[in-house]
Amino acid sequence: MHRSLTRGGAVAALGVALTLGAALPAVAQEEVTLRMWGLVNPNYPEFIEQAAEAFKATHPNVTIQFEETPNEAFKTAIQVALVGSDPPDVFFNWAGEDSARLVRDGLVLDLTDLAMAEGQFGTTLSDAWLSTLTVDGRIYGAPTDAVTKYFYYNTRFFDEHGLTPPTSFGGLLQLCRDIRAIDPEIVPLPLGNSERWKLNHYITILNERVMGNDALRADYALTASDDQLFTDPGYVTAWGKVLELQQAGCFQDAPNATSPEVSRTMFSSEVSPMIFCGSWCMSIFDGEGFTDYALFRFPPVEDGASDGNSNMVVPQGLQVSAKTAHPEEAVAWLTHLTSPEMAKLFAQLRGALPSDPSLLGELTEATPQFLWTANDMASLATQYNVIDVELEASVANAYLDSGVEILNGTMTPEQAMESIRAAALAAKAAQN
Amino acid sequence: MTAAPARLAAVSARPQVGARGSALILLAPALGLCTIFIFIPAVLAIAGSFFTFGITSRVWEPAGLSNYARAFADPVFWIALRNNLIIVLGSIVLQVGFGTILAAILDRGLPRYATVFRTVIFAPMVVSAVAVALIWQVILDPNVGALNAIIKAVGLTPPTLGWLGDPAISIWVILMIACWQYTGFMMVLILAGLQGIPKELYEAASLDGARGLTAFRHITLPSIRNVLIVAVLITTIGGFKVFDLIYATTQGGPANATQVLGTYIYLQAFNLGNMGYANAISVILLGIAVVLGWVQLRVSRRA
Repeated sequence: MHRSLTRGGAVAALGVALTLGAALPAVAQEEVTLRMWGLVNPNYPEFIEQAAEAFKATHPNVTIQFEETPNEAFKTAIQVALVGSDPPDVFFNWAGEDSARLVRDGLVLDLTDLAMAEGQFGTTLSDAWLSTLTVDGRIYGAPTDAVTKYFYYNTRFFDEHGLTPPTSFGGLLQLCRDIRAIDPEIVPLPLGNSERWKLNHYITILNERVMGNDALRADYALTASDDQLFTDPGYVTAWGKVLELQQAGCFQDAPNATSPEVSRTMFSSEVSPMIFCGSWCMSIFDGEGFTDYALFRFPPVEDGASDGNSNMVVPQGLQVSAKTAHPEEAVAWLTHLTSPEMAKLFAQLRGALPSDPSLLGELTEATPQFLWTANDMASLATQYNVIDVELEASVANAYLDSGVEILNGTMTPEQAMESIRAAALAAKAAQN
Repeated sequence: MTAAPARLAAVSARPQVGARGSALILLAPALGLCTIFIFIPAVLAIAGSFFTFGITSRVWEPAGLSNYARAFADPVFWIALRNNLIIVLGSIVLQVGFGTILAAILDRGLPRYATVFRTVIFAPMVVSAVAVALIWQVILDPNVGALNAIIKAVGLTPPTLGWLGDPAISIWVILMIACWQYTGFMMVLILAGLQGIPKELYEAASLDGARGLTAFRHITLPSIRNVLIVAVLITTIGGFKVFDLIYATTQGGPANATQVLGTYIYLQAFNLGNMGYANAISVILLGIAVVLGWVQLRVSRRA
């Protein structure tokens, strides 16, 4: 009797356990912690926190552990971490040479099969977006958003003095002169180039405005022949345009000693009426309580090859370490982050253009500046990456150093291009 | 008759063996840590300097001595080395020089508030180099900085390209910042030496008519000679190792004008992906450090 009861109890317990097991799969699921690294950006931790909370609904066993690092430190930290034994599972990266190099070195997981499974991000994002983190036809990351550059201008100042956004490069120069004529102490367009990359954004766009995007491709990819590499006189012309901006009084005296933060503050505190700033600057200005601004695109250069319906657009996204122990969960997380709902939340919190813009029309708290930017980016005929992401590192470094020297007057545009061409030839020789 | 000395020898030898064993056991953790964090990385750096590879590369390609040849042909390497020498020599003159003067004033010439002055002068030493860099970036900023405002207020003209943006002066500005931070440390070090000089020496010298600068020259300086040697060596080694202050202030710019070997190694290794070349420069820097260490030993022994 006792034995039969025991046996019956065991069978019943097994039945209950099986039933519970079927009803509560999470009980059997392994607890997973996904470590994610990203850049320090306004509102980004809040976005990740809310996204992780929503992710719990479908993946209750997955915990997201997010760590943020400032821009320059991140570039080093992620390389060291990826070759180490404990890299993050998911990490931010810029599309272009930065991500391609990590792919070549085998540090990034090929996500193609997982991403192309039904419902995953490879089937929901557009091919154009997917291509930004695709290498040799394989998907190595989920593009999340893109940043670009615009001139921001103080609408109150412009209205007060009857100024209008320029439609040509010459008009931009005249605008600087007009602002100086109002008050010589006003810096029309502060430039914070102490970290070198600010001027690189100018020269990225000026190269395209002068020579056109197609003319640059072979040089940037180092596939042009040795006798042609970076010899187009348009490069010297583009540097000359930087000098024209300087001579028109657009910049302050010491751009190489001014930090990007100070130059931004000069605009948001209304000391200066314009600034050339990234699309990410909107959330910074809004956060500082300055909203009396509008934007215009870098105008076309007279006699240039570009009509100006183009802009520097830097796609960025998330990649997965080749050493991750949780590839399925990582891809599910990327799919969640790039879903229309999360893209909408991202746009709302960050003021940035997400890779899935399908729900942007539903945004109730979008600023007019953000909506203008989203529309403008959607209307671009041509997009191209920034030089320091697109070029081989030593060539990009030569560009960065040359920019500093040109602003300081210690190098002419011709000398700058000699230096850049020498770096390009050396880099090309090293690649071969 | 012979057994007794033998027993004595055995008895006296036993503690020696025990002491040697204890010494080895006590040294083992330090030796282990030095092996892991100094010797093995140093050997790897030397080995890596003969290869071409990036930090994330899977393949190391043999490069022979080409990384060393590249260093000697690289103008930026020489700029960096020159800047290290400027910082070393400038720091010796300014930090040790001012440190000695301040220490002498505090030791003998300041009857009241010596502790307050000592604390104030030493205070920058306890601030991290990155924080120091940020403080000075704000002070030296050409648009909103206090220094330019003061200079303009007294009718002078600050440098057009900015204190940290002008390649002709930026390394000297960095030197001044380093001096501001570390002179207090030198002062405390030298002050400790000064306070160890017997007062009787000064009293005896006073009876012989030696006071003031004469006493300083003939009694103070010879008495703190060893301390000064240590101060000079600490400054020299620090001058070659300098990295954080420059990286946080100018990142080696404008256009390599403040590049030192430490920041150039970082640039090559982590920004440009030339880890083999960075290793070669590191080995050269290691060679300089070894020579300086040898000089230190020689001078210390002679002193």
